[in-house]
Amino acid sequence: MLVDLIQQLFNGLVIGSIYTLVALGLTIIFGILGIAHFAHGSVAMFGGYLTFFFIQQFGIGLFPAMAVAMAVGALLGVVLERVAYHPVRNAPPINAFIIALGLTLIIEKANLLVFGVDQVIIPTGFDRVFNIGGVTLPELRVYILGIAAFLVVAMTILINRTWMGMAVRAVAQNRPAAILMGINVNTVSMFVFGLSSALGVAAGVLVGALFAVAPGVSGGLVVKGFAVLILGGLGSIPGAIIGGLVLGVSEAFASAFVSSAYKDVIAFLLMIGVLLIKPEGLMRRRSNR
Amino acid sequence: MLTVTNLRIAYGGAEVVHGVSLEVGEGECVALIGPNGAGKSSLLKAVCGLIKPTAGNIVFEGADITGMAGHEVARRGIAMCPEGRQMFPEMTVMENLRLGAYRRRKEDISAEIEEVMTLFPRLRERASQMAGTLSGGEQEMVAISRALMAKPQLCIFDEPSLGIAPKVVDEIEDTLVKIKALGVTVLLVEQAVSMALRVADRAYVLEAGEVVAAGTSAEMSSDPRVQRAYLGA
Ligand SMILES: Nc1ncnc2c1ncn2[C@@H]1O[C@H](COP(=O)(O)OP(=O)(O)O)[C@@H](O)[C@H]1O
Ligand SMILES: [Mg+2]
Repeated sequence: MLVDLIQQLFNGLVIGSIYTLVALGLTIIFGILGIAHFAHGSVAMFGGYLTFFFIQQFGIGLFPAMAVAMAVGALLGVVLERVAYHPVRNAPPINAFIIALGLTLIIEKANLLVFGVDQVIIPTGFDRVFNIGGVTLPELRVYILGIAAFLVVAMTILINRTWMGMAVRAVAQNRPAAILMGINVNTVSMFVFGLSSALGVAAGVLVGALFAVAPGVSGGLVVKGFAVLILGGLGSIPGAIIGGLVLGVSEAFASAFVSSAYKDVIAFLLMIGVLLIKPEGLMRRRSNR
Repeated sequence: MLTVTNLRIAYGGAEVVHGVSLEVGEGECVALIGPNGAGKSSLLKAVCGLIKPTAGNIVFEGADITGMAGHEVARRGIAMCPEGRQMFPEMTVMENLRLGAYRRRKEDISAEIEEVMTLFPRLRERASQMAGTLSGGEQEMVAISRALMAKPQLCIFDEPSLGIAPKVVDEIEDTLVKIKALGVTVLLVEQAVSMALRVADRAYVLEAGEVVAAGTSAEMSSDPRVQRAYLGA
């Protein structure tokens, strides 16, 4: 029984770490621009396809392919901010909402056109399986957890310890005051979209290695991402980290000990529960905004 | 140093500042007084680039900054300690102070941190506390210090005494005097008029979006109209 618990905890953390990567991007975009960036999942899938393409075409390894795809994703994010969201920054929020929906369709269809309708699994060559005291640890899943942890820590350091990160937090907490400090909100918006999209691509690659890159996966990723945001608190970075892991582990436990049919219901049950008991999210203090 | 000429400001068609001109010379401390809703904050926001005036000119150190983006105005050396203090609530006092020096982020700012902590010893005790959890008076100290951290050529204060305990208002007055003594050029908006006139060299009176009186602080304190309307004489 204990072994089962540890096994499911491990499985849940692996999936949860991917949810965290998706949610981190969504939460900093929401914090800065107040936008629900639905196209985030499609950007993630684009990154997954791109990584698959690099590996197939140029025979490079997973890590370099992923790094290049993340860089391309960051660039794509900056372009999306400039071309799609920047023009409506002062318009009523419904404008950004419609644009977010439009972008989702456009990127989704572009993925289909460029990469085709077939699902692809990103080859990694990480096929070993470790067994520690009865707990099965597939090599790939260990790497996924490691990569996600690395990216989350790197991002946290970036946001907490650098001037750019301070500027990002300042704009999220008090935009006019941030401008008075000499912070260029445009630069911060572009940076946030670049960073978010790079993290989204990383999530897409990990999903593609673990399951598959396919049309339709992106919608599910975004739904889970927003579920995490509501769990952890809109705009909260610690909330996205904790919320992602809580969701992943809950799903793993539910499918192992209740029924896998109920796996996806868990996200919504958790969301409803948090909204009833602590509507500001797990990681937000009640008094704040 | 700062010359505002015929400035007009409107919100959605309703004009609230009707052609205001004023000047702040290098090293001067100028007060802008007037009742609630006179347009004082609007004027300051236009100077700082947070809103765009509909007409008129703002010239700072010889350069036309009318309608310039707020962050560029800040980078040119105008710092503002805004009305309502405008903390970054989920950041520590220290982080708020460091953000004040954002335009000087490539320089060493430890000496300035030390300076403002000497000015307000209370901030040293509170350095790692979240700014949102401070009292109003303490937040005002952070807001003033944050503005000073920019080492600005011109420092603007928008009602630093608003909603602050009387004892702390005295402390703020002392601080403004010290800031003046450091040679910083100051534009001070205040409704605590007697305090403002004690600190400032000159003053403008703004009523319903127009300058209705101007002169040295001594002249203003002895002006019967100012005495009646603002000094409770
Ligand atoms: N964002 C705004 N939108 C519409 N009207 C505003 C806005 N800000 C200020 N006003 C109006 O402009 C006038 C001047 O306000 P303000 O500049 O804040 O005056 P003061 O700082 O002298 O009290 C007031 O009538 C106020 O209602
Ligand atoms: Mg005001």
